Amino acid sequence: MTASKLASRSTLFSLFAGLLFVALLGWRIASMPDYTFARIVQDFLNALTLGSLYALIALGYTMVYGIIRLINFAHGEIFMLGSYFAFYAMTLTPMHWGLALLTTVLLGGTVLLVLRSLFNLEEPKRTFLLALLIFGGTFFLLAFRHLGWIEALLLSMLATGVAGVLLEAVAYRPLRGAPRESMLITAIAASFFLQNMGQLLFGPRVRGFNAETVLNQPRSFAIGEETVYFTGILIVVPAVTAVLLFVLNLFVTRTRLGKAMRATAQDAEVAQMMGVNVNQVIALTFFIGSILAAAAGVMYSIRFGQIHPLMGLMPGIKAFTAAVIGGIGSLPGAVLGGLLLGFIEIYVVSFFPTLSAYKDVFAFVLLILILLFRPSGLVGEDLTEKV
Amino acid sequence: MMRNHLLTLATVGLVTLGLYLLTQMDGTSGLLSALRLIFIWGIAAISLNLINGQLGILSLGHHGFMLVGGYVTALLMLPEKERRPFRTRLLSDWARDNLDLDKWLRGLGLDFIANSIDLKFIIALFIAGLAAALLGVLVGAPSLRLKGDYLAIVTFGFGEIIRLLPNAPEVAAFTNGPLGIKGIPGDAGTIWWTFFAFLFVLWFFTRLKFSSYGRAFEGIREDEIAAEAMGVNLAYHKVLAFTISAFFAGVAGGLYASYLQSVDTQTFNFFVTFFLLVAISLGGLGSITGAVIGTAVVVLVRNYGGFLEQPYPAWVGYLSGALLMLGAFAFSAYIRKTRRLRPVIETKHYIFGAIGLALLLVTVFFRNEPWMTQTVQFFGMRKILLAVILILIMIYRREGVMGRAEFSWKLIFGPREDIPSEEQRKQDAWLSNPELNPGASETKEDDDASA
Repeated sequence: MTASKLASRSTLFSLFAGLLFVALLGWRIASMPDYTFARIVQDFLNALTLGSLYALIALGYTMVYGIIRLINFAHGEIFMLGSYFAFYAMTLTPMHWGLALLTTVLLGGTVLLVLRSLFNLEEPKRTFLLALLIFGGTFFLLAFRHLGWIEALLLSMLATGVAGVLLEAVAYRPLRGAPRESMLITAIAASFFLQNMGQLLFGPRVRGFNAETVLNQPRSFAIGEETVYFTGILIVVPAVTAVLLFVLNLFVTRTRLGKAMRATAQDAEVAQMMGVNVNQVIALTFFIGSILAAAAGVMYSIRFGQIHPLMGLMPGIKAFTAAVIGGIGSLPGAVLGGLLLGFIEIYVVSFFPTLSAYKDVFAFVLLILILLFRPSGLVGEDLTEKV
Repeated sequence: MMRNHLLTLATVGLVTLGLYLLTQMDGTSGLLSALRLIFIWGIAAISLNLINGQLGILSLGHHGFMLVGGYVTALLMLPEKERRPFRTRLLSDWARDNLDLDKWLRGLGLDFIANSIDLKFIIALFIAGLAAALLGVLVGAPSLRLKGDYLAIVTFGFGEIIRLLPNAPEVAAFTNGPLGIKGIPGDAGTIWWTFFAFLFVLWFFTRLKFSSYGRAFEGIREDEIAAEAMGVNLAYHKVLAFTISAFFAGVAGGLYASYLQSVDTQTFNFFVTFFLLVAISLGGLGSITGAVIGTAVVVLVRNYGGFLEQPYPAWVGYLSGALLMLGAFAFSAYIRKTRRLRPVIETKHYIFGAIGLALLLVTVFFRNEPWMTQTVQFFGMRKILLAVILILIMIYRREGVMGRAEFSWKLIFGPREDIPSEEQRKQDAWLSNPELNPGASETKEDDDASA
């Protein structure tokens, strides 16, 4: 099958799905008298937020799958770790200076080690500067003041990225070259391990995530006679997502490491022959995926206001569905799939309130249908196994 | 052959006698319930092993099959007394009139079955198995289109959909929603039921493994295209394996529901499939013996690992963490030292050892601090242990304990095949003697290739 034929098929498919969606929308709006324009805008804001969060998580799934063909079951738990790190960064600061020093040495040391090996920072002068920056910055953040959500977000992103790299190094790297089923089983075991470790370390109960009041203050604007209510987070999430996507895109397309990543995704062996350090690239992929998951985790917790050790399960599965919808292995596909899933979820529940009990079932049904009838997703490459 | 059959019969008789003595003794209820769990989970593990081990398809939806079996058994076995408040509250009219095994049996004039709880239990289990098998056909069908991890995700999705459905408002009319069904008669599920069901499953799956069907399954696992070229009908065999596996998973679910005397959606969540996965990976994918060994280990960890989750002073945790890390460091250092090529200890091992040492020192120096003597409880330690076991198996010994081998009497009483016999030794001596056999160097290679 040629590329153009594939492209036309996928365009046709998305066109068809879009038309169906619009037709459904029109029919439903016509039959619901109280469904006004303001409510559509309200739903749009919610859907955009949810979709952005799904997109951020889905990027981690799709990048890891693209590089080592592993469905990283533990990605939802990485997401959970991200929100817990931010939670502790926000509640435990300002720390006692001794404790802050200890945390700085442990966290900063690990971050420094990982960053050095990820970005080829072998020069002693550069390493020294980086070390100064990391240790000083972490100590400053932890010791002197109460952290706001932006600092907590950044700190949590760094720490979670390192956690992702460690997960890869401990659980997945020894299995390089093993059958894919073995890797999947390991990923499931890692997911269970992190879930139960989370329950052990963070406590099994649900905690409130009290973020900045600015983000949760109810605001409103008027459309005609109707009012649309929203909170700051509904604006912040898409904005942060857009910035992260922009940076990710720059990184993947414009830097040497990004090029190495794309090469490894195409063919790891040949990339290795061309001098790409494949292990480093895979670790980098986990780092970036975990950073995005942490960002999503923190914003998800601010949006929904509570965290618990099993919170990563459903968002993880839905984000995986999003990655599959978009075509697993494709970065734009993950974003598209995430947004699409967010919109479908919000609008379906909004149009058919009786179906809200089936919200989770619906994600699984969609996952199965896509895998069965269009495993390459909306924009993905054809992944049929060849003999 | 005759001797082996006699030995098998004698073993079964001895085990039965042992079980009988156990039931007669006092203070063995804990052991008996552990044995019942081993039998029940053993049935489920053996049936999962058929798909995951013999057919070579990773299926993650086994908890769905077990859930269907459990709910069907529960609904059919529920006595009138337990049914009454439950159905007026929730069960729809159709279910009230039709989902009643007693009524069916009496309608057919089979009162003697309806009066005996044991005979009723057999029928309920059989129907539960059939319901699960029907679902197995449905879940097995995607395996005709997909392979590998995509198929695993599809089976996982099916399993989760089945688990979520009993809570949905429309289905809750039959399943009592998140409350679940309570008051299933427990006396139908004594240890003898689980024991004989387990024996039957062992017999059935052993026969299946060495039949033409079992060979076809293993052919599909090794190479689908080659198997198809040899005349194996892929679609038929894949769906057949799913159906058989789902049937026995349903039976196991029914037995488990009767063991617990209650069933709800949390009874059969993804943890169930995870434990089964640990069991069959530990024992060795593809080996029935291995599945039983693995199940025994998992159940023993779950039933007798309670001491891991007791409240302890915090220093116990720090100390055991330190000792584990130091032990791991010492072990890896020992392994590295004995290696012939590049006997170096890597930096990360030293880091590991240093953290362990630091923890040990902290424990010793701060042993009287309040945060060291406070009581802590390690919830979920057993699940963490099982997850770690699974990761370690996948990394260090992917074939598990048994590999694909089975237990056999020949293994115990037969001639040792791993050491050469006297005759082979003589042949070797002749072959390697240059005076008697001048062309030894050439013939030796041929000999190796044919051996």
